[in-house]
Amino acid sequence: MSHVSALTEEGADQRVTLAAVFTEFLKVSLCSFGGGLVWARRSVVDQRRWMSEHEFADTLSLCQFLPGPNVIGVAVCVGAKLRGAIGALAALSGFVLIPCAIGFVLGALCLQTAKFPVLQNILGGVSAVAAGLLIATGVRLLVPHIGRPIAVLFAALAFAGSVFTGLPLLVVLFGLAPLSIAVAAVQSGKAR
Amino acid sequence: MSSHSAPVALAVHLALLSCISFGGFPSVLPDLRDFVVAANGWVTDREFTNLFALAQAIPGPNMILLMSFIGWKVGGIPGAIASAIATFGPPCAFYFVAYRLWDRFRDAPWQMIVRRGLAPLTIGLVIAGGTVMARTGNPGWQGAALTIAAAGLMIRTRVNPLWLLAAGGVVGGLGLL
Repeated sequence: MSHVSALTEEGADQRVTLAAVFTEFLKVSLCSFGGGLVWARRSVVDQRRWMSEHEFADTLSLCQFLPGPNVIGVAVCVGAKLRGAIGALAALSGFVLIPCAIGFVLGALCLQTAKFPVLQNILGGVSAVAAGLLIATGVRLLVPHIGRPIAVLFAALAFAGSVFTGLPLLVVLFGLAPLSIAVAAVQSGKAR
Repeated sequence: MSSHSAPVALAVHLALLSCISFGGFPSVLPDLRDFVVAANGWVTDREFTNLFALAQAIPGPNMILLMSFIGWKVGGIPGAIASAIATFGPPCAFYFVAYRLWDRFRDAPWQMIVRRGLAPLTIGLVIAGGTVMARTGNPGWQGAALTIAAAGLMIRTRVNPLWLLAAGGVVGGLGLL
């Protein structure tokens, strides 16, 4: 690994160039068929090591409580962490500008020559795989928490609440969050 | 409605929707569909579905792409650009401000507790997102098998996910699902 690890080096903020932030999120965006979270985690945690698994999950939590596309939120937060406002702008530009322009042209071409049955079949296969990748990303994020059974329980509750009850995401989130935070508070009280 | 006011109305509506799109843009898709298809008749139901499928198939920020396709239908290229900016602009401002505040109190004990409480929920919701996507996209057992195989390979191996996605496209394109 030739990248300087932001986790181990002090003051690594200055060493990550804006160009690196821009190109990394450009890469994430161009790869992200069916959802960018898979690629964002892979890039930020596995490859660049700009954030730990924990920090990535925390950042994602923050973004989930705000409106908007969460993955873009992650890009903005990672950029802000590395280089402040201009870093956030670099990450956002990388994530949005070029991919949207390319996507838009591709899409417009497709619409002119639309062969939707074939496209939808291919799309079906891609989306099945994309779903699997998203599940795997969640499992990866869960690994650091395996040692805390209560955390696994709350992850299971959030999963079940979202998949089986048909409740809006926000209801599940705001319903479980006070409970989960209260339990974490009690646990950290005991630990002290 | 004159040809000038339609793209503006769309952009304003998108900006408002983006401010309440908790959990991402899919949560406000039903409202968007009502607005552009039923209330204003800018695109047909069929077009809306096709644009959605198309935006999903193309890499990049899918929802922004969907909005710019709709903006394009309504007001040409300027409409597309205005729609895209209206979609991601407001949330990005929120993200940045919130992250700054959040980061300032990173070492506060209360924040560590909040983090420990929230992280499992976030993770559960990510896995749920994948599950819901699998169920709605491909209800059959073949689709489920493909999803499980992809998840297993992604967890166990270091294979580049692009290969998995390409394989999925081939399987789907051959009509095996």
